[in-house]
Amino acid sequence: MASLAQEPGLVTITIDGTELQVPKGELVVESVKRLGREIPIFCYHPRMKPVGMCRMCLVEVGMKQPDGTVRMMPKPQAGCTLPASDNLVVITDSESVIADRRGVLEFLLINHPLDCPICDRGGECPLQNNTLFYGPSTTRYVEVKRHLPKAFPLSRHVTLDLERCIQCGRCVRFTEEISGDAQLAFLFRGAAMTPRTFELTDLDSKFSGNVIEICPVGALTSSDYRFRARPWDLETRPSTCLECANGCSVWFDHRGGKMVRINGRVNDAVNEEWTCDKGKFGHGYLNAPDRPAKPLIRKEDVLAAADWSTAYQQIVAHFEDGRTAVAGLVGAKVSNEDLFQFKRMFHRHFHSPNLDHRWTRILPSQTEGVRGLHGIDEVHTRIAEWESVNAALVVGNDLASDQPMVYLRLRKAWQRHGAKVVVISERPTYADHFASAVIRCEEGKLFEAVARLSAAVLQNREGADALRAALKPFAPDAKDRAAAEALKGEFFTVCSESVYAKPDGGKTVSALANLAVGTDNAQRFNLYPVGANDMGAALLGVHPGGQGMNTREILEGCIQGRIKSLWLLECDPFALWHDHQQVQDALENVEFLVVQTSAPNQAMQYASVVLPCCAHVEADGTYTNIERRVQKIEAIWRPKGDAKPSWKLFTELMLRMNPSRPIFEPSELMEMIIAEDESFAPAAYHNLEGNGACLPLGVDAGAQLFMEIYQ
Amino acid sequence: MPELKLLLKHKARTLDEYRRIGGYAAFQKALAMDRQAVIDEIKKSGLRGRGGAGFPTWIKWNGIPKQKTKRHYVLCNADEGEPGTFKDKELMESTPHQVIEGMMIAGWATQADVGYIYIRAEFMDCARAVKSAIDEAYAEGLLGKNIQGTGWDFDLHVHLGAGSYECGEESAMMSSLMGERGMPRLKAPHAPLPTIAGLWDSPTLINNVETFACAPHIIQNGGDWYAAMGASTKNSRGTKIFSVSGHVNKPGNYEIEFGTKLSDLLELAGGIKGGALKACIPGGSSVPILNAESVAKAVIGYEEIGEVGSMVGSGGCIFFNEHTCIVALMWRTAKFYMRESCGKCTPCREGTDWLFQIHDRIIKGGGRPEDINLLKQICAQIDGRSFCGLGDAAAWPIVAALKVFPHEYEYFIQHGKSIVDTPQSKLMFPYAEPVPV
Repeated sequence: MASLAQEPGLVTITIDGTELQVPKGELVVESVKRLGREIPIFCYHPRMKPVGMCRMCLVEVGMKQPDGTVRMMPKPQAGCTLPASDNLVVITDSESVIADRRGVLEFLLINHPLDCPICDRGGECPLQNNTLFYGPSTTRYVEVKRHLPKAFPLSRHVTLDLERCIQCGRCVRFTEEISGDAQLAFLFRGAAMTPRTFELTDLDSKFSGNVIEICPVGALTSSDYRFRARPWDLETRPSTCLECANGCSVWFDHRGGKMVRINGRVNDAVNEEWTCDKGKFGHGYLNAPDRPAKPLIRKEDVLAAADWSTAYQQIVAHFEDGRTAVAGLVGAKVSNEDLFQFKRMFHRHFHSPNLDHRWTRILPSQTEGVRGLHGIDEVHTRIAEWESVNAALVVGNDLASDQPMVYLRLRKAWQRHGAKVVVISERPTYADHFASAVIRCEEGKLFEAVARLSAAVLQNREGADALRAALKPFAPDAKDRAAAEALKGEFFTVCSESVYAKPDGGKTVSALANLAVGTDNAQRFNLYPVGANDMGAALLGVHPGGQGMNTREILEGCIQGRIKSLWLLECDPFALWHDHQQVQDALENVEFLVVQTSAPNQAMQYASVVLPCCAHVEADGTYTNIERRVQKIEAIWRPKGDAKPSWKLFTELMLRMNPSRPIFEPSELMEMIIAEDESFAPAAYHNLEGNGACLPLGVDAGAQLFMEIYQ
Repeated sequence: MPELKLLLKHKARTLDEYRRIGGYAAFQKALAMDRQAVIDEIKKSGLRGRGGAGFPTWIKWNGIPKQKTKRHYVLCNADEGEPGTFKDKELMESTPHQVIEGMMIAGWATQADVGYIYIRAEFMDCARAVKSAIDEAYAEGLLGKNIQGTGWDFDLHVHLGAGSYECGEESAMMSSLMGERGMPRLKAPHAPLPTIAGLWDSPTLINNVETFACAPHIIQNGGDWYAAMGASTKNSRGTKIFSVSGHVNKPGNYEIEFGTKLSDLLELAGGIKGGALKACIPGGSSVPILNAESVAKAVIGYEEIGEVGSMVGSGGCIFFNEHTCIVALMWRTAKFYMRESCGKCTPCREGTDWLFQIHDRIIKGGGRPEDINLLKQICAQIDGRSFCGLGDAAAWPIVAALKVFPHEYEYFIQHGKSIVDTPQSKLMFPYAEPVPV
């Protein structure tokens, strides 16, 4: 065979007689895929360092000599750890390779319980699959099988069946390499080796659910899903997780109208293939037995089922042209289309600007906040970019809780190329273990800590004299100066809007923006939202604007009687607002309360009208995540009872108030959104197949400092 | 041939005693030599690794980068765990400075900053002896900063293992030393050699205790002088210490020149006791077993002993008399490897367990005729397929026993009891009576 012309960075290797060029150092197990072939694997996982433990991928390997002959290595080699080098010859289908695979499978199976008929993994099990294709059909093992605990709880979510474990180490490596909490380790040795937590510790990682998915057998099982279904009885549909604003791609498995489990779906731009426990185990509300299925109307202190028409009638009577006496509050899991239609209804028909989607203590107005005071965008960095940053400043709550995927990427940056990370927080965070500096401040002193670090960072730099002067009152200590070393050059800032829940949150954000602007890092500043579609709500203007009332003013207005009618869209103020008494007073005092919800909540007991609406898996819609990626979620189930998609409900109401051409599809609403706001143009429905589309980031209008916070 | 004592010639536990027998003269000589010249001397000597694999020592020394960009390490493998081997124990206990001097010469030749002696935890006396020798060397300025005004800094530390045979495997030793679980690491061609990226990803030279102990003698007397010993063999030079044990009258360490006959070694150890010679494991429990006929023919040398089907290994030479049941011996061997497998790779983890269970069943009287083939196939599924050499080491003795003494297995399986039916042989059995299965 004629040799291929060599391109730089590529090497020529031969796999089963076919010559091909691959990047130098590519693992043979990956190169083989280029030919549409596969090498069976267990321990190998493309997102973790290869270890070559299970020996399933043994192949014959040789080197082509200058005279054209091939010198084979005496032993078979693991394809998952072997890097491609020039003249490498790989044989994946020889008698000996086939015998080796059968041998390894025989070894794995001798102590495996073969309880496939009742195993959660049965039907989607790599051990089953590999055995089918490469394994022996009978056993030669006549000794007694190893017996070990069958339901060994590792945590609230994960149960380990030790007999099924094939000791591939994927789970152990996941907690060491990916989540970084190193909560699993191998105990004992030889045939007795088992993956466990250390004594008196749990697998309480925020990412523990992933080990269930990467386990190649049914050893690590979900405590919730155990023995609940067979995989072939499930319907699996792609969806997006709405438990936070990262918008991870997931597989949504359901059966008989019940959500059964959530698995990670590959999306290299967002979650790679991981999920956090909040997302993986947090969708239980969809299965709640008491989800509202009919409109309810209060009659003599009791909520009674009613029809839509009566409910609409009452709502129109209280809201139409309600002006400043009506208000709407919105939760996080509302689609762009629903939000847009809700806002239109309020603006056009109720003539009320009193709308808000924010529930934090601090509610910056249009002239405040990062844009108002500093003229920079809230977000500049996409999720995938975090894995290539060299220095980062992480401020506020635990990044792993607020932005789990940003956390995983940032940890990867540290692990792969030693990114320097500075953490400023009031409490211990997940990122502490790899941070080059941790500044732990007292509760409520976040702003001072940021200001002191800013002063230390500016000591190392030229320029920004005005900011340096303003920071005079904040003398950095040795720890701040040490931390500032990591931020000498370009650095990225990440903070979540949960910081607005702190009394000094506004000042903290402003101080961070000042630091970013003062050090020419404004292009790397990020204040990410936390709620699933908070970004969408902010972009679509579901906030008071210049004239309206914000969440606090609306609640106060209800208590004082200025707000007569309140509409709660997919939100429970008791769960979201920090002052329970204020919520209770507001809901008790408001004359007319509409609670529109897909799941039962505490506010319902004060409602005048309850409107059942679809949860995200029951209606088509788009959601905007922290990096302004608009992703479409398609309806998976039929709505519960008489529940309607929220946008449809608003459309029907608007038709009652002003008959016009109705809207039939959410895509029409997206067209209207685009017509109103050009920045949404990439999100036209025909662009949203696959991983969705990103809206522009970093729309900066002249960065500026804001010094008054330091006084 | 008589013993040729080089490493075991003197007992010198203290620095004074060691100086009296010419200690550290070789180190002084090496300091005056060019680094490459030291390595060339080792190359001339033909020294091969004494830990078991017999890899040419100079290639490792020469493989450490000459342009230093990172810290360099020297690691002494003193995790002598191979059953039947106890040469390093004596070397460290009787002349610890000899080992330290060898490491210092290696450290000088490879521009090392730090040396570690990884001693198995059971060798507490060794650890004490080596530690006090290191303390003496520091006090005399032989170790530490700016040694002898050369500007070279070299520190030496003792590290105790935690009771794992696997940690004698060089990459597992590095894992263990770095605080990780004692499991082997990827090796070439899957990862760079330890001489490029070993401990903490830095160049690391790893040699056995005996190998390091040879270095002072080679530097002092020249590589050619050393290479003259063992010249009758194909490619084995110098002397080798054999730890002779088993059914011999005078068990102990015997240092002989390569080219000595295996039967001469038996004579040195006072000959076989309690009956006629039946078998010998010449190089530690992992090497193939030999019968009396092969022992008579065998000449000690890396290649020579290979001609009769075994290996020099680590030099743990065990002789067995006629009262030895080979099946029971293999039961014991299989049990050792089952318990010492680290668990990392499938063939070794599951295979060693299975091999032991079959042996256990056979000696309980429950053997089946197909077990012999099964044992052979399991061994073939382990040998060369495991992650590190432990799997191979578990398979070889059984493969050899099945080849050399097949009738013993056949008899045991057929009759449910050993072919060796003497009162002495009863002592070998773990179970008082064969237990019907």
